[in-house]
Order: sequence, then structure tokens, then C-alpha cells
Amino acid sequence: MLIETRNVWRRYTLGGEIVTALADVSFGVKPGEFVAVVGPSGSGKSTLLNLIGLLDTPDEGTVLVDDVAAETLSDGQRTELRRDTIGFIFQDFYLIPTLTARENVALPQLFTESATERNERAVALLSQFGLGDRTEHTPSELSGGQQQRVAIARSLINDPAVVLADEPTGNLDQNTGKTILGEFERITDDGTSVVAVTHDRLVTDFADRVVELVDGRVGDSTKATQHVS
Amino acid sequence: MSPKSLADRLPVLSLAIRNLSRSKTRSALAAIGIAIGVIAIVSLGMFGSAFQRSQMQNIGTIGNNVGVFPGEDLDRANFTERQLREIRRAAQPADLIAIKQDVREMRSRDGTTDQTVYGIADPDRLFDVRQGAIPDNWRSGIIVGDQLATIEGIETGDALNLDGQTYRVAAVLEDAGQATLVNPNNAVILPPSRFAEDTYTQVIVLSDTTAEATRTAERIRTAMNDRRERVQVFEFSQLAQQINQLFLQLNLFLIGIGAVSLVVAGTSILNVMLMSTVERRGEIGVLRAVGFKRFAVLRIFLTEAAMLGLIGGSAGVVVSVLIGTGIHSLFLGDPFAFDTLSVIYVVGGFSFGIGSGLISGAYPAWKASRLDPVEALRE
Ligand SMILES: Nc1ncnc2c1ncn2[C@@H]1O[C@H](COP(=O)(O)OP(=O)(O)OP(=O)(O)O)[C@@H](O)[C@H]1O
Ligand SMILES: [Mg+2]
Repeated sequence: MLIETRNVWRRYTLGGEIVTALADVSFGVKPGEFVAVVGPSGSGKSTLLNLIGLLDTPDEGTVLVDDVAAETLSDGQRTELRRDTIGFIFQDFYLIPTLTARENVALPQLFTESATERNERAVALLSQFGLGDRTEHTPSELSGGQQQRVAIARSLINDPAVVLADEPTGNLDQNTGKTILGEFERITDDGTSVVAVTHDRLVTDFADRVVELVDGRVGDSTKATQHVS
Repeated sequence: MSPKSLADRLPVLSLAIRNLSRSKTRSALAAIGIAIGVIAIVSLGMFGSAFQRSQMQNIGTIGNNVGVFPGEDLDRANFTERQLREIRRAAQPADLIAIKQDVREMRSRDGTTDQTVYGIADPDRLFDVRQGAIPDNWRSGIIVGDQLATIEGIETGDALNLDGQTYRVAAVLEDAGQATLVNPNNAVILPPSRFAEDTYTQVIVLSDTTAEATRTAERIRTAMNDRRERVQVFEFSQLAQQINQLFLQLNLFLIGIGAVSLVVAGTSILNVMLMSTVERRGEIGVLRAVGFKRFAVLRIFLTEAAMLGLIGGSAGVVVSVLIGTGIHSLFLGDPFAFDTLSVIYVVGGFSFGIGSGLISGAYPAWKASRLDPVEALRE
């Protein structure tokens, strides 16, 4: 397993009350796999993504990335591991408004690669996603679908083992959403795993496997019994 | 690939500049705050020192001079040649000027007046000339004080009658101010050879520094006076030191006012940066998510604050130097009379500007770097 959670618990205290966001979740992603995580609002999907994305640590249980237990790492070490193995895509794209598409894509390598190298790679990735003629545009000059493709390019610049996407098609129309999912398929064909949190039927159709979370617990996880609401 | 841009060479700096230009008005206001603080420090400092220098031009080097006068227990009214030699020995290695003094009748168109007359061998060591020149080997001719010359309408080349003897005016002195041991403004100076007696009413000992003057005064006292007070020694070194002290305090006070305004400016940077961290929460979250360490986030925000300080400080220095030329031409008559102290004020004010940017940027930057990425990314 590339990324794995074992019996993970995550609790929040909210106004004196303990909210259990994740309860005893064991979950794994294999290389090249496209996993969709579904579930009702508040079921813990984003929490799970943050844990396997090394942004957060569990209260109980363990998160393994390449067999390294994330809880044993310092914040700095976790950040480095995150930079080297994980790519993030967000619902709101979260591009830096003052940077061009190329600079946004190159951002993760700002301190690790030479300017020439990271710029070349950013331009190549943007071309790969059909944005070869938009590299010097700022996010405000791009459509939603284009922005999300810039975000995907950014998530890939470090050659991550897994791309984590939280509602990647949430702010896109259906056709644009389809294009984005097509990109995900191409990514997984290259051996990169994708974990996408979604409410979107379309995404589950594209996925190799669907995991359902209900009240912080893993429900059925076969594609045949995918959750349809 | 295009030639390397600023963004490629100095990515953090370029990020900072773009972030600041995102909210131009706010950044400009913060920088102006710093500029005002720097201007206040530098120009108040320069004002203080220019004022002091202009006052010192009046007071002159009086603190370096010691006046020696006949004491109560001296056997006669004036110093004799022998006593002068004694004083000279005691004062060594300091140099001295012996002064003869007399009153003579001056005859002019309006009648006769009693006129103070000094006999000084080398008056150019004590006074500045505004018209004519003091002859090198001074045997004939006289020198007239500023005020007397003005009142009587005396110019160089004029003839002056003293006690029935006629002299030609060789030079007219500049206004020597009030703070001198010998005040020539209303007097006439003759070569000492023009006096009947070789006795002296006072001796002025010249030193290079105030401290040296104090030591010389002490040496003369111990050498000349025992129980009897043969000489009276006047030194202005203590007074000069007190005046200096006073100016120092005035300067510190002025700079203090400037510093307060810089602190206020620092607060505005603090405010701008804090607002910025709140507004850019999501962005900070993204930076952390894509692998920026806390320190990298800290660096970006600190660079922004430092840039505000740098821009404000530079603008402040430019304006301050302009104000400085105004102050200098006002007080010293020379717009470019910048001395070491004013350079120190400029450099100091500039560093304070950047420093206050950094200090007030430190807390927001630290806060930004400590932001939990999960929290930052939650809408
Ligand atoms: N920082 C937090 N403080 C308090 N409670 C939190 C926090 N983060 C998450 N929770 C709670 O944990 C539970 C799971 O939240 P999570 O964001 O993982 O849900 P989700 O499945 O992503 O929901 P959605 O589909 O609405 O995005 C929710 O009940 C939420 O209120
Ligand atoms: Mg969520």
C-alpha cells in the first residue's frame, strides 16, 4: 500500500462537545488507483483527506506514507514528505491570484529546483493540459475549468505518488467536470494514484473504487454498491 | 526560455512585491507612515545639530580658552614680563597671548571720546577680519572692532587720531559675538610696541580641546597661587560642557519625538500585515499544503514588511535630505553643510525605518507561519 490509515480516529471539540470526525477508519490506496470517497456532508471526508495528505495527524491509529508513520515526523519532516509525495487539488482551485499560471504551477518547487528547471516543467505540464498558450495569464484571466487544470498541473509538478482532490469538480459545469476527470484518468495511467472526495455521480463513475463514509466510519467500499442518493 | 526575471532570481522578494501591489493604497499608506517617521527622526536630528552648530559658531571656541587675570594678592595691577614668563612656563605646552590694555582719547569730527585700546601681538589668532588685512610684521597701523567701525563709519585706509597720534586703519574685524574673553567689538587694537609699558592686563591661553584647557587652567593655578591669590584663572570649559550637554539633551528630545512617530508608523505596518494574514489565510494554507515550511511562510511575510520599511525609509531619506538642505541653508548659510552627525542621522533613520518594518512585521509573520494548514484551508 502506498498510503494507508490504520484504525484512525480523529476528534474535534466544538463548544465543549466532542465531535468524532473519523472513527476507526482503515483505508488504503494502491499505486495508480483512482479512489472516490463519498458520503454525506460532515461524514469526515475532508478530515480523511487531510490525514492522508499529512496536513493533520490522527488522535489514535496511524497514517502510513510509504511505510513511514506520519505521527512520528516533525512538522518540517511532514512538510517535506508532503511536498515530495502528495499533490493537492481543491474545490476553489486556490491559485495565488498574483502569480501567472506558470508561476502557480512552479510554486511547489520554488525552493527546491532552479528557476529554469521549474519553469520548463511548469510550461510542459500546462501544455499537457491544453494551456500552453495561457502560461502567462493570471488566474482571474482564466475560466473555472482552466483554473482547475492549472491546479492539477500544480499538484503534479513534484511527481507525487498520490493526488488528493477535495470536490475537484464541485465548482465546474458537467462538461468541464468530465474533462477534468479525463485528466485524472491520464494521471492514473502514469501510475499516480488519485483520491477524490466528491458528491458528484460523474466522479464515482470514473473511479476504480468508491469508499463511502457515514458518520466517520467506512461503509461499503465496492464499486457495485456505490452510494447513490 | 526568456532571460531570468526578478521572479526567477529572487522569488521571495518578487512574491512580496506582488502581494504588496495587490493592495496598493494600503501598502502605500503604511510606507508613508514609515517615511514620516524617518523624516521626523532625521530632520529633527539635523535641525538639532544644525542649531547647535550655528550657536557654536557664536560661542566659538571659548571653551578651549583660559583667561588669566591679575589676582587680588598680586603685587601690582598688571602682570610684568617676569610674571608673564612664569605663566608661560606653567601653561606649557599650551600657547598664550598676552594682552595690554589702555584707554586713549580718540578725536573725531564729533569731538573726543575715551576709547579702549588693546595691545595684541598677533590678533589674527583671536579674531577674524572682515575688511583689510592684519600685516604680517605688525608695527604700524591699527585694527578697529566691528561695532566701533560701523558707528564711526571707519574703513580701512582711514586715519584715526589717538592721544594726538595719527594711525592708519589696516583692518576692520568681524563681529566677535559676546562670548569672548577679550571683546574687540567696541575697541581698537594696536601693536604692543605702541604701549609705553610692557605690562599686561590679561593673558589668554589657547588649547585645542576643552579638556586640555581644564588641565592647563589647573596647572596655572597650582604654579602661580599658594595661599595668596596672585592670578585669577577663568575657564569656560565647564560652561562649554554644560552647553554641549544641553544641546545633547535637546537633540535626544527631538529624536525622541521622531522615534515616537516611527513607533506609530510601525503600528500601521503591524495592522496592514495582520489584515493581510487574515485575508490570505487560504493562500497560506495552500503554500503549506504544497510543501512550504513554516519558515518559508515566515520569510515571505517578513520580506513584505521589510519592503514596506525599505520603501518608506528610502522615501523618508530623500525627503529628509531635502529638508536638511533647507535647515542647513537657514542656520548655517550652506545647504550642503552635512556633517558626520547628519550622515549618521540619515543612516540611522533609514535603518530605524527598516527595523520598525521588520519588528512590526515579525508578529504577523510568525502568526502566519504558525497557522494550521487544515484550519487555513477550511472556508
Ligand atoms: N476544525 C474543526 N473543528 C471542529 N469540528 C470540525 C473541525 N473540522 C471538522 N469538524 C467536524 O468534523 C466532522 C467532519 O468534517 P469534514 O469536514 O471532514 O466533513 P466532510 O465529509 O468533508 O463534509 P463536507 O461534505 O460538507 O465537506 C464534521 O462534523 C465537522 O463539523
Ligand atoms: Mg469536506
